[in-house]
Formats: sequence, structure tokens, C-alpha cells
Amino acid sequence: MEVIINKQEGKTLVELKGRIDTTNAEQFQRDVNPLMEADQLDIDIDCAGLDYTSSQGLRTFLMLQKSVNARGGQLVLRNMNPMVKEVFDITGFSNIITIL
Amino acid sequence: MKKRFNPIKDKSSEIINYLMASPDMPEDEALRFKLQLSIEEVVENVVRYAYEGGIGWLEVSTHLDHDTLILTIELRDAGVPFNPLERPDPDVTLAAEDRDTGGLGIYLCKKMMDNISYRYEDGNNVLTMTKRI
Repeated sequence: MEVIINKQEGKTLVELKGRIDTTNAEQFQRDVNPLMEADQLDIDIDCAGLDYTSSQGLRTFLMLQKSVNARGGQLVLRNMNPMVKEVFDITGFSNIITIL
Repeated sequence: MKKRFNPIKDKSSEIINYLMASPDMPEDEALRFKLQLSIEEVVENVVRYAYEGGIGWLEVSTHLDHDTLILTIELRDAGVPFNPLERPDPDVTLAAEDRDTGGLGIYLCKKMMDNISYRYEDGNNVLTMTKRI
């Protein structure tokens, strides 16, 4: 699992590659932690390379959304593959996180 | 296919990989995704919570009925009696601030599989999931 973070013109661009599963969900959480800091207001995450997420991965996305809401920022997930999207749909996460 | 894993502490991925490698599993990518997600959630539940200190066993099996194409996955453990299906489903309509992630894993299982059932039998927790593949 790779989390690539780039800051660009006030926006934070993130690229996810690989799978979030039982072997690395805690690492993913740690990798995403910097995004919950105060100056990271608008976060744009490219999920094209995200092949799989378990409910543990969803937990981290929810924490990130709550953190962004609390700071008045915006979180966008893009290019999600249909299988991963279904996990977000079933759990209602599509209604609380902007997925483009 | 059937195998008893003992001990199971930190063995989640080994157990999941064993099940996913079963010849009973389908090849279709979307189906495998749903099965893996369901398996991961229930295996993790047992590995993390069934036994104090994670000391104990978990027996897993797969069976494919070639007439009906119904795949059955069964988990059996001798841990604390626990029916994961008794937990109320999460309210998936709440706003982010009101959501927590409790019960999300087993809820995903219920949605991804055709059927999931629990029984306590001979001192064992037995969780059975089926899906037509």
C-alpha cells in the first residue's frame, strides 16, 4: 500500500496505490495522519490505484472526513474502481464523502 | 477444504489466504472481492476477540455444491460465545459526525454474502456464510 502526498497551490493531492487490508490498515492510518493536520484543508485523493479496502480502511476515511469537516475544508475521492465504490455505497459512506 | 489453525494470534492473513486459495473459490474478480471482504471481516473478528490473549484455534472450511453452485464458508472456534449477527446494523443514513465504524464489518458481510448464520454447538461458535457463485 502506497500513500503519495503532494502539496500544490493550497491543495493537498494524494494518490493511493494497492490494497488496504488486515495486514496494513494500521500503517495506512499512520500514513494518512499528516492529512489531519491543521494546514491541510482541501484534500483531493486519487483512488484509481486503490484495489481493495476492508472496513478498517473505511474507518480511516471516516476519520479523515470528520477532521476535514471540523476544519471547514473539503475532501474529494476520485476515480474509485466500481468494486471499492460499492463498499462505500453499501455502508452509506458515499453520502458523507464526496466521490467524483 | 478444511483446516484448523492453532494458534491464530497474528495469523489473519494466513487464514484468509488459505480460504481464498481454495479450489472452491470462483475466478471472477468481482465475486472474489466480495468473498475476500466477507472472509476478512469474520476471520479478523475471531482472531482479535474470540480468545483472551489470542490463544486458541480457528477451523475454517469451504464447500462448493456443484449442482447449485452454492459456496459455503464455515468458521468454527472454541472462544467466548459470541453471535456477531445480534449486533444492530449501523444506521448508514447518518451524517459523518454522527457515524462511527462499529458493526460495519459484519454489516458488509451481510450485504456481500447471500446468507450468513450463527449457531453455538458443542461449545463452539459456528459461523456459516453462503453465496451462489
